[in-house]
Amino acid sequence: MSNSAQAVETSSAEEDIPSSLDGGAVERVSQGAPSWLSERRQHAWSVFEETPLPSTRSEEWRYTDVSRLLKFAELRVAPDGASGKGGTRPPGLTAAMDEDEAAAGHTMLVDGSVVHVDLDPALERQGVILTSLRSAVHEHGDLLEELLGTEVLPPEDGKFQALNAALWSDGVLIYVPRNVKLDLPIRTTRWVSHGGSAVFTRTLIVAEPGSQVSYVEELLSEDFERRTLASSAVEVIARDGAQVQYVCIQRLGRGVFCQSAQRTLAHRDSTLDTLNVNLGASVTRLDLNARLLGAGAHSDMLGLYFGDEDQHFDHNTSQDHIAPDTGSDLLYKGALDERSRAAFRGIIRVHPDAQRTDAYQTNRNLLLSDEARADSLPNLEIEADDVKCSHGASVGQLDSEALFYLLSRGLSQQQAERLVVLGFLGDVMTRLPLRGVVTKVTRAIERKLKSV
Amino acid sequence: MPENELVEGLGLDEYQYGFVDDEAHVFRTRPGLDEDIVRQISKHKDEPEWMLEFRLKALKIYERKPMPTWGGDLSHLEATLDEIYFYVKPQEQMERSWDDVPDTIKTTFERLGIPEAEQKVLSGVGAQYESEMVYHSLKEEWSSKGVIFDSIEDGLKNHPDLFREHFATIIPAADNKFAALNSAVWSGGSFLYIPKGVQLDTPLQAYFRVNQERMGQFERTLIILDEGAQAHYIEGCTAPVYTTESFHSGVIEIVLKKDSRFRYTTIQNWSNNMYNLVTQRAVVNENATMEWLDGNLGSKLTMKYPSCYLVGEGAHGDIMSIAYASDGQHQDTGGKVVHVAPNTTSSITSKSISKGNGRSSYRGLCKVYEGAHNARSNVECDALLINSTSRTDTYPYIEIEEKRASVGHEATVSKIGDTQLFYLMSRGLTKEEAMALIVRGFIEPLAKQLPLEYAVELNRLIELEMEGSVG
Repeated sequence: MSNSAQAVETSSAEEDIPSSLDGGAVERVSQGAPSWLSERRQHAWSVFEETPLPSTRSEEWRYTDVSRLLKFAELRVAPDGASGKGGTRPPGLTAAMDEDEAAAGHTMLVDGSVVHVDLDPALERQGVILTSLRSAVHEHGDLLEELLGTEVLPPEDGKFQALNAALWSDGVLIYVPRNVKLDLPIRTTRWVSHGGSAVFTRTLIVAEPGSQVSYVEELLSEDFERRTLASSAVEVIARDGAQVQYVCIQRLGRGVFCQSAQRTLAHRDSTLDTLNVNLGASVTRLDLNARLLGAGAHSDMLGLYFGDEDQHFDHNTSQDHIAPDTGSDLLYKGALDERSRAAFRGIIRVHPDAQRTDAYQTNRNLLLSDEARADSLPNLEIEADDVKCSHGASVGQLDSEALFYLLSRGLSQQQAERLVVLGFLGDVMTRLPLRGVVTKVTRAIERKLKSV
Repeated sequence: MPENELVEGLGLDEYQYGFVDDEAHVFRTRPGLDEDIVRQISKHKDEPEWMLEFRLKALKIYERKPMPTWGGDLSHLEATLDEIYFYVKPQEQMERSWDDVPDTIKTTFERLGIPEAEQKVLSGVGAQYESEMVYHSLKEEWSSKGVIFDSIEDGLKNHPDLFREHFATIIPAADNKFAALNSAVWSGGSFLYIPKGVQLDTPLQAYFRVNQERMGQFERTLIILDEGAQAHYIEGCTAPVYTTESFHSGVIEIVLKKDSRFRYTTIQNWSNNMYNLVTQRAVVNENATMEWLDGNLGSKLTMKYPSCYLVGEGAHGDIMSIAYASDGQHQDTGGKVVHVAPNTTSSITSKSISKGNGRSSYRGLCKVYEGAHNARSNVECDALLINSTSRTDTYPYIEIEEKRASVGHEATVSKIGDTQLFYLMSRGLTKEEAMALIVRGFIEPLAKQLPLEYAVELNRLIELEMEGSVG
């Protein structure tokens, strides 16, 4: 950890100097880094500069106008979170961590820097790695050089992906050796504390053949007056026969533009499931791509969102069936109140060799107010003939029969509506019954329902 | 036919409408398009000044708008458009009796079975050859009740006020690049007006034939149903098979007033060298019902999405789409329903079959504006893949701004099941017969909505297409 200590000193000296998102920021974040990494950052920065701002004229950004929602020029690189006084954790962060149940390990990030890591020593002895990316650059350089931001999430994927690859400050590396199985999940809490800042983090999860790991991360902050960018890149690799679950619970404060790019690679006979719960932030943009690369691979892709005020959610998912005999099943459900709006664009691509693919995609929306809006584009592109594919999308209002039933049992209109919404959304979590996640998310939804 | 060559031996011989007539036009513009060509077309039609101005303005819009980058592959289209004839006048005037139609053209339509069908089952017929309607007639019974069924040019001449009130109001020139192109060079098409309360009990038919090689056909149709009126209009199209590419871009505008009901059936069977880019839209008022039955079997590339704008309370729109994409074909079809008024309902049903390296894409929009309380819409798409090289895509857009609305979309993709085939073959059918039977069963819910002779034709086509598809 000697190097991260150095980084702390450098940045604390600069704490008062607001740092723009520019080439200088790339140089500062590259200080002390091995050459492969600085080169990779420089390359990503040039891709960022060459890539035009996503426009609503493109299909992928049809419903989110970045030029209106985010001004790169007004953002400042967040001061190093590791430089803060150790003992004083924000109350919101402490509360969230107190709700966590047992874990195999924890990490905590403040403003894009890992400030705490712990891992069950028994797992450490079996070769499991849980560490900050900053120290992994030096301790596990070969692994990162091979995998970080290369085949999984290259900067060429898009403007935000390039920006993250150029400016990421820290993140989490999880490596699970062959046949090692973790009984409890690894939990991460990420906190953003400066309004107007931009925070860039990455997560890399590598599960070797026959291993098993669950990872649950939570994104939190207070509300901000100024637009704040929380950018994350998540790369997950499940090698042959591995079982991986990735869960992200996003409860950032208002004012935040939460941008997340995730890609999962599922090799032969592996299971790689994801759950994205988006409740917070003013704007949420998720790009999730599941690649089924080996025969017998399967991915469940679950999503849940609940908006109020003028929250804006944009989920852009894709399921790439590249090998034969693969399966994927996507279910994204959302409820939208007040003036909130959600867009879902999902695509199943069955590549020519992916015979006997079994792929499903469902997006369901519940509109709770007259001003709410939902757009849904469930797409299919099928180039193999021996497949079972279907998709469905719906937008509707609260089930009047369910409401009537509850009202007839003496519940108030408000109570009944809350229960129906909870039932509608809760349905997603029953598909991934991970310890602690269900209660945590249910509580978060209930809190949000009460404030309505 | 000096420069025309009937393409043989391309495996397209099952296309029975690929025959070619001698060229018999009385006038045609030089290939390509510019302001001068537009002026020539307008002059030949002896149009009022406002129409010429409309055309010229549309030409500017067309030139300004970029080629669409979505949908089918249009990368070769620009080159094609430089070489085609935008206007070919086959005869001096439109006739009311088949006896007056020149023999070559009459023979063509006889081979297509049009005059025979007219006598038996139709209320009226319009026949377009190249750029102009060559024949138009309506049974006395209906003309005496005030029904107008005429070529679009005669509609403009004889009913200028009614024409101008609605023309280009449903699909303005700036709607899309090809609507702009059509607005600049439109020629031929039908003008149909059904007066208040008049209900036609047999269909009207318009038939479109392109004979000239490298020809662009730009028919323009305007249909107005007055309150409580009812009618059914059928459109059919064929062309010879050439090695060069041809182009068809129609604009169909339909107004349905209160309580009216209209069905528009298209059986598009262009030859496999035709670009078919069509804009079709109906504005549906209070308690009126619009039905599109859209069958796309031919063409190289079709991009067509019949639309219903449900602007009156209680309006209903129904879009039924059958697409069949064989080798070298891309059917990019679907439908759009836009709910503007309360208590409007709509449904889109799409069935597509892709065979060989054919590609069929469903592309659709369901939009519910705020204020369209209790709007209900349901979209169902089923795709059947015959070969491992076939491709299918589904691109539905669902945009909902109204809480009290209910919208659903379902799509499935499947291949012909081995167990289904095995069952039928164990009953003594050959594999080809079994496949044809399964395909027929797949499209049956829509095929049974077709007029009988078209349903029979569709079935025959499927049997032909299934031959040699095994393996």
